[in-house]
Amino acid sequence: MDVFGLANADAVLPGVKAGDPTAQEALYRAFEAPVYNLARRICRTTEDAEDVLQETFLEVFRSIGNYRGEGSLWGWVRTIASSKALMRLRRNKYRETDELQDEVVPLRREDAALRMDLEAALERLNSTSRAVVWLHDVEGYTHEEIAAMMQKTVSFSKSQLARAHSRLRHWLGEEVPA
Amino acid sequence: MTHLTMEQLLALREPGLEPGVQGWRDHAAVCELCRSELDRMDQRVARLRALPTLQPARNRFTEIQSRARQARLKRRLFVLSLGGLALAASVALAVVLAPRFGGGGASSLAEQQQLDSIIARSRQLESVIEDYDPDRRVTDGRTAVVAASLEDRVAQVDRQLQLVNMMDQRMRPQEALRLWRERVGLLDALMDVHATGARYVRY
Repeated sequence: MDVFGLANADAVLPGVKAGDPTAQEALYRAFEAPVYNLARRICRTTEDAEDVLQETFLEVFRSIGNYRGEGSLWGWVRTIASSKALMRLRRNKYRETDELQDEVVPLRREDAALRMDLEAALERLNSTSRAVVWLHDVEGYTHEEIAAMMQKTVSFSKSQLARAHSRLRHWLGEEVPA
Repeated sequence: MTHLTMEQLLALREPGLEPGVQGWRDHAAVCELCRSELDRMDQRVARLRALPTLQPARNRFTEIQSRARQARLKRRLFVLSLGGLALAASVALAVVLAPRFGGGGASSLAEQQQLDSIIARSRQLESVIEDYDPDRRVTDGRTAVVAASLEDRVAQVDRQLQLVNMMDQRMRPQEALRLWRERVGLLDALMDVHATGARYVRY
C-alpha cells in the first residue's frame, strides 16, 4: 500500500473513533485497495471479494474503539479482512466442492505447453491452499497465526503451503531436472 | 542422494530452528539441485509479492457508510427502546413511592399526568425514528455528526434518569419530568435532523 495512505489513516483515527463520516471516508480510501486485493487473492470471485471489503469496513467502523494502538492500524485492519475472507471461504465450502478443485481438474497438455503465468496458476489453486500461500508468503503471517485464523493446526498450514508450492512449481514449469 | 521435500525446503525459510532443520540446511549447502529449488522458491515468493494490487470495480463507500449508519441507528434505537421502557417503569414507581409533592393532591395528579404524557410522547418519537429508513436516505457528513451527537445526548439523559431513584424522594417527580422533557426535546431534534436530511436529498 502507498505510504501516504498509511500516514493519512493514522492521522484520521481520532475522527473515525468519534464517528466522523469524513474521517471514515479517508480511512476507507487509505485501505480500500489493500483490503480488496487481499480479499480478491483469497476469494474465488470478485463478488465475494467486494462483500469481504464491505464486511471488513463495517467491522472496522463498528470496532474501531477496540483498537488500542498496539501494532499498526493496517495490521489490525488486515487481520479483520483476513478473518472475513476466510469466513467467506468456509461458508462457500458448504456450497461447492472447491476443496478438491485442483485435484479433480486435470492439467491439460496445452496448459503445460503454455506455462501458466503466476496469476493464472494462483487462481487455479484450491481456495485453502491459495489462502495459505497468500497469507504466509505475501502478507507475512506465521503458520501459527494462519492456523488460529483458519481454526486448523500448524501442521495443516504447513502442508497446505507445501502443496501450494508443489503445484505452482509444476504449473509454472519450474521443476529442477534431477 | 535423497533430496529435500517441499516441506523441508519451506522449513529452511522459516525463522527459528526446528528439529532436523540443521541437517537439511547442511544438505542444501552441498546439494546443487536443492539449492536451485530454494532459489526458485525465493524467486516465486518475490514474484507473488510483486503481483499488481487488484482494485475494486466500483466505489463501495456510500453503501458501506449507509449500512454502518443503519446498524448504528438500530443499535441505538434498541438501547433507547429498552432504556425507555425500563425508565418509564422505574420513574413511575419512584413517583408513586414519593410523598405527594406540592402538598396538594390535585397538583400531584397533574404532575403525574404530565409525566405520563411526556413518556408517551417519547415512545411515539422513538417509534417514528425507528420507522425512518436510513438506507433510502443519503445524508451529508455534517448531518450524520449532528445526529450522532443527539443520540449520545439521549443516552446521557437515560443514564441520568436511571439515577432518579437515588435522589431525595421529594425531588424525584420534578427531576424526572425535567429529564423526560429534555429527552423528548432531543428526540424531536433528532427527527428534525433526519427530516431535513431527507428533504435535502429529495430536492
